[in-house]
Amino acid sequence: MLGIYKKELRNYFTSMIGYVFIAFFLVIIGIYFMIYNLFFGLANFEYSLGAVTFIFVLLIPLLTMRLMSEEKKQKTDQLLLTSPLSASSIVLGKFFAVLTIFLIVMAIVCTYPLIMSLYGSIPYGSSYGSILGFALLGGAYLAMGLFISSLTESQVVAAVISFIVFLFTVLMKGIASIFPTDNKTALIVFSVMVIIICLLLYKMMHNLTVSIVTAVIGIGGLLGVYLVKPTLFDGSLIKAFEWISVISRFDTFSVGILDISGIIYYLSIIFIFNFLSIQAIKKRRWS
Amino acid sequence: MIEVKNLVKRYGDHIAVDHLSFTVEQGQILGFLGPNGAGKSTTMNIITGYMSATDGTVTVNGLDVYEEPEEVKKMIGYLPEIPPLYPDMTVLEYLNFVAEIKKVKKSERKEMISDIMEATKITDMSNRLIKHLSKGYKQRVGLAQAIMGYPEVIILDEPTVGLDPKQIIEIRELIKELSKNHTIILSSHIMQEVSAVCDQVLIIDKGRLILQDKPENLSNHLGSTGGLKISVKGETEPVLEALKKIDRINDIRENHSYEEGVVNLTLHCNANEDIREEVFYSMVEAKTPILEMQSIRMSLEDIFLKVTNEEILEEDSIDEEEIPETIASEEEVDEDVRDL
Repeated sequence: MLGIYKKELRNYFTSMIGYVFIAFFLVIIGIYFMIYNLFFGLANFEYSLGAVTFIFVLLIPLLTMRLMSEEKKQKTDQLLLTSPLSASSIVLGKFFAVLTIFLIVMAIVCTYPLIMSLYGSIPYGSSYGSILGFALLGGAYLAMGLFISSLTESQVVAAVISFIVFLFTVLMKGIASIFPTDNKTALIVFSVMVIIICLLLYKMMHNLTVSIVTAVIGIGGLLGVYLVKPTLFDGSLIKAFEWISVISRFDTFSVGILDISGIIYYLSIIFIFNFLSIQAIKKRRWS
Repeated sequence: MIEVKNLVKRYGDHIAVDHLSFTVEQGQILGFLGPNGAGKSTTMNIITGYMSATDGTVTVNGLDVYEEPEEVKKMIGYLPEIPPLYPDMTVLEYLNFVAEIKKVKKSERKEMISDIMEATKITDMSNRLIKHLSKGYKQRVGLAQAIMGYPEVIILDEPTVGLDPKQIIEIRELIKELSKNHTIILSSHIMQEVSAVCDQVLIIDKGRLILQDKPENLSNHLGSTGGLKISVKGETEPVLEALKKIDRINDIRENHSYEEGVVNLTLHCNANEDIREEVFYSMVEAKTPILEMQSIRMSLEDIFLKVTNEEILEEDSIDEEEIPETIASEEEVDEDVRDL
């Protein structure tokens, strides 16, 4: 794992992407820091961070697009997968390397509240709490980007898909609020989702029985719940979409609340997507 | 050492490897011979654990590739068809990285890398970026990568592709040197290479094992194609006339002649028959002196083509009329090799 980690980290700094990412990230945060905290004199650093979450959509794909796809394209995955490394140490090595780049930014950002403290008293707790949340949010996006990169051979495709998915997570909150709240629509939308998942399953596994059984169980379960207790579906659509919306979890951090459930949520997202990337690599052997 | 049993790999309806079984003993060099798309690379990818098989087992030193992948991978060094290089690294950085992921002990790393660079003759290139190297050097760096950690088994997929003749000889020497302490599997579609280096040759076509034997035994296996190549001074007509009187000649083909008034012919007769004297006396009778006469020995090329063609013939059950054509195609290839 350490070998992969060092290799990836070196690669970010020999190919300039690392410098570009760090510089650009700092410029954007710097601008908001200037406007909110220095010009307007707000003591709360969390407001600036809350306003800059959109840059993840633009910058994370830049960092993650080539992580896995490039190995496949250059056929260097043959070296990695035939060496005595486990799939998890390959994925985690890469994830921690890319996380390190992001944490360099966060480490520099950590000095901002100290700069402000020269001019007055600062709520350190909420400032550093929001930096922690921001770092976790970034980690979640990095894990998602890594997973998307492991699905394709092309950096461009990885970047575009990551961009679309990330954009979706940002827009999700707005989209969710316009959905109807009645339970019938929720049932239909969830059923359609189950069918889509089953189609994907079939495409990946080429196993008709597994996909049909999953579909029957999924839709049957939904129908069962609907018949027994339809009120469970009330407003569930909005809740579900908000749950997927990674970015809306940061709202609590940006108003100065250290949200334990949010921390656990981000850690689980990081865990799930790293797990999926490992599975994607293992699966490649079977295709 | 390596045991492959009933290996099958399917891609949808296409069968890339079809019930392939073979074993390789310790210290042997096994040559994998087959036309493009025969399943050589697929088989190697399965042995190294890069791909999984649809069916069948591969064991290395008694360990199954699927059950104990990490242990097995430790014992195998692999040079794939396209050397797995990172263009933005220098040779030294790359080899350091490879040593690290192959779990070479830190104390041995430096010495091992310099030894391997010496053996593959890339010491001069150690500080160059891999993307600036020529194809031949890239191939050598790939080879260095496969040797890293001195694994018990080294698997090389077409190791001499893209090298110049001098480098090819050097690499062959290196492979022979390595075979003293390692078991080697290499694939190639170049027959001389296999006959020059390997202890065992395995011919596969369409994923099936066609033949496995020592290179020197291969021709016994099939019997020689009896035949002569002759250059005769004189006109074509009378020469052919005279030769047609010999019953034992099955087929006569005229080859291109570079000299005026000289006919070049290839005569085919049944295997293990000697028609040299008969040809000599008939030419004497026709007063067309023989300038050159040469028996056709079956080279590995011929064996290879013959075996793979026979497969095709069996499969499609083409009637016998087609057979001369296959002989003709052997002939053309033979000519090509000669011209080279």
